[in-house]
Amino acid sequence: MAALEDAYARPPAGPSIGYVGADVPVELLTAAGLHALRLTGDPGAGSAQGDRYLGRGVDPMARSILSRLLSGAFGDLDRVVVSHDCEASLRLFYALRELRRVEPGSGVPEAYLVDVLHLPHRTTARYVRRRIGEFADRLAAWTGRPLDVAGAVAAHDERRRLLAGVAELRRAVPARLTGRQFLAAAGAALPVAEHVAALRALLAEAGRLPEHRGRRVFLSGSDHDSPHVYEAIEADGHVIVGEDHSFGDPLAERLVGAPDLDAIAEHYHEYGPTAHRATAAERAAHAAMAARRCRAELFVAYARAADDAPAWDFAAQRAALDIPAVLLDRQEYGRADVAALRKEDPCPA
Amino acid sequence: MPGVKKPLVHNRSVKTLATAAEAARHQREWFAGLRRRVAEGEPLAVVNADVPHEIFRAMDIPYVVSQWWASVVAAKQRSGHYLELLRRRGLPDHSEQYNAVTLGSAFDPDPDAGPWGGLPKPSIVVGDASGDVTRKIFDIWGREPGVAFYPLESAAENEVPANWWELVPHRWEEAIGPARLDLLTAELENLVRFLETTTGRRFRESRFREVMALVNEQEEWNRRTRDLIARARPAPVSVADGIPGVMLPQWHRGTEWARDAARRFHEEVRERVDTGQAACPGERARLMWIGRGLWYDMGFYQRFQEEHGAVFVWSMYLAIAADGYIRHGDDPMRALAARFAAFTDQLYTPPWSSEWYVKEARLHGIDGVVHLVSDDPRGGYFTARALESAGFPVIEIEADNVDTRTYDGDRVAERVGRWLEDVVLTRAAPAAGRGPR
Repeated sequence: MAALEDAYARPPAGPSIGYVGADVPVELLTAAGLHALRLTGDPGAGSAQGDRYLGRGVDPMARSILSRLLSGAFGDLDRVVVSHDCEASLRLFYALRELRRVEPGSGVPEAYLVDVLHLPHRTTARYVRRRIGEFADRLAAWTGRPLDVAGAVAAHDERRRLLAGVAELRRAVPARLTGRQFLAAAGAALPVAEHVAALRALLAEAGRLPEHRGRRVFLSGSDHDSPHVYEAIEADGHVIVGEDHSFGDPLAERLVGAPDLDAIAEHYHEYGPTAHRATAAERAAHAAMAARRCRAELFVAYARAADDAPAWDFAAQRAALDIPAVLLDRQEYGRADVAALRKEDPCPA
Repeated sequence: MPGVKKPLVHNRSVKTLATAAEAARHQREWFAGLRRRVAEGEPLAVVNADVPHEIFRAMDIPYVVSQWWASVVAAKQRSGHYLELLRRRGLPDHSEQYNAVTLGSAFDPDPDAGPWGGLPKPSIVVGDASGDVTRKIFDIWGREPGVAFYPLESAAENEVPANWWELVPHRWEEAIGPARLDLLTAELENLVRFLETTTGRRFRESRFREVMALVNEQEEWNRRTRDLIARARPAPVSVADGIPGVMLPQWHRGTEWARDAARRFHEEVRERVDTGQAACPGERARLMWIGRGLWYDMGFYQRFQEEHGAVFVWSMYLAIAADGYIRHGDDPMRALAARFAAFTDQLYTPPWSSEWYVKEARLHGIDGVVHLVSDDPRGGYFTARALESAGFPVIEIEADNVDTRTYDGDRVAERVGRWLEDVVLTRAAPAAGRGPR
């Protein structure tokens, strides 16, 4: 666990490419032989530059990522690949594209958009397949060599299998990992082969992991690209045993399977249901299943300020659940109103 | 002051154009007729503004545009009521109010008490999946008994040519790109089948071609009107007339009435130019309004005429009608997809939006830009930057265009008035002898 925690807290230097959002097909980055890093914000750092370019109506996570890109916090990245997983990511892409055009001195890397969409229809599936093919072609052009798609899919699927095993450790009663630890295990900034080795080591020591008792929480809603909210909630006597945002459980939930672009396109088209791309009804059905699966005792819907989507899901989610549920709405980036969780039954179904 | 609801005292504009008044009268008659048709059992669709209405027009399916209804609600100072209805259902009242207000009206226990007799219950709702919550809003509506929801995607492109307004009338394939056009064309073909199945109405290609031709004719008249206003000194009309003059016919795109209304609007503006009539006698400054219409305070647009000699000559509504709709081509469904596959980009995505605003500001000889910045993700840095770099002073005001709860009109007007005196009027030349830049 220490190696994973360390790589989560201090990403190794030297990635050549950054990516933003849950819908970037990381298999293709690996297939191209690129050392890639998922870019994250920092609630503890200022975001004045990001606020300036994106406006305060955009999710502060994206504003923070832009601020960090402008300050060089990620080192010398050649490019940033951005997905259309939410409006904030798309706005970040547009800002990067326009900054390169009108303020070339800003030093931001070249940005590329992978426009994966999610309506559950064949028209969208065909569109996504086309965009995945275009991205693969672009990567081959950037690197000047063919992609090893089969090898990359196998490696990332192995990582998903192992991470699913780690998720089971957290779902155990009592939990053998905290939510904060699972975030680190899932988000350790390691090349996939090293990540696989570290996850195997963690699973090998499963029997020696301590037990974590506390009110079992399922966390729904906004993405958490930093551990701050997890630490605040768990410091208050809870343990986060599951979540539905893109830095947690969903990373382990479905394999790509076949070693080709068709399978990658289907995987990312069907990814979710996320707060930003699914309907409230889809989110509610998933919440009921996922909260039961991890035997949660409290459902917490977390909506960061300027990240409105989760608040639209909450009424349907609450109606679908048989455990108490609370909405933490319009929360500051990296913070949580934990006092609301301490109420006996904050928002009974 | 944020959080303080103040009564609005200047909320109505004074219209001078007969065509604007005629369009308003037609709108009321049309809505009364629509209510009768629905009461007699016809289907009703509520659609987002970015949805291709032309298909509904060709199939003679009555429809109401969500944003138009929200503007009526806001003008009647009723948006707070409908947002409260959402809050009571556990839904947010602070998010995407432009669509949320219309959803709120679906939950009104006394719908007939709404503006203009109330919005009848739709059987079909159609919205695009833009942003993070629009699809959720329409989907929630679609789960009401007797209502079906048809979503459309909102796709994006990596590289786009900046001069879209020159390309889109004929070279739209080049401006928008085949991936987005293939997607929306396929979605629209499926929409036709969905509507045929749910309403029992027929889609005839010949009628569709007529509708598409009428829209191009209507928008061609709007283009001429835009060019006329851009070059005329003093301004013959302000946006207080221009917005209803263009937008009410716009909601009837594809009808002969709408085409003729656009022509009459042009003729009336032409007459005012020829006879030297001014929207603001003693014009000292020409202003551009960037953002959605301030529906609950349309008087805002005339508030600076008497004291400052400043007249709003530009809003996006006439300008986007002029540049954003005309699509020629042999395949009408693909041409229709080309009208909407990148519609939002035209207004809100740099470089398309920013370069276009600069082009329009130059064309209209703008002296200052008032930029409405709503609490949504569209932002405005690159718009303001482009305009300021081109020499146009910009002031940003923060407000939601349908939610009055945090709007303080007097405070906003005081700020704008100070900016006019301190920045704009110190630079603007007298109206006489001024020409387009």
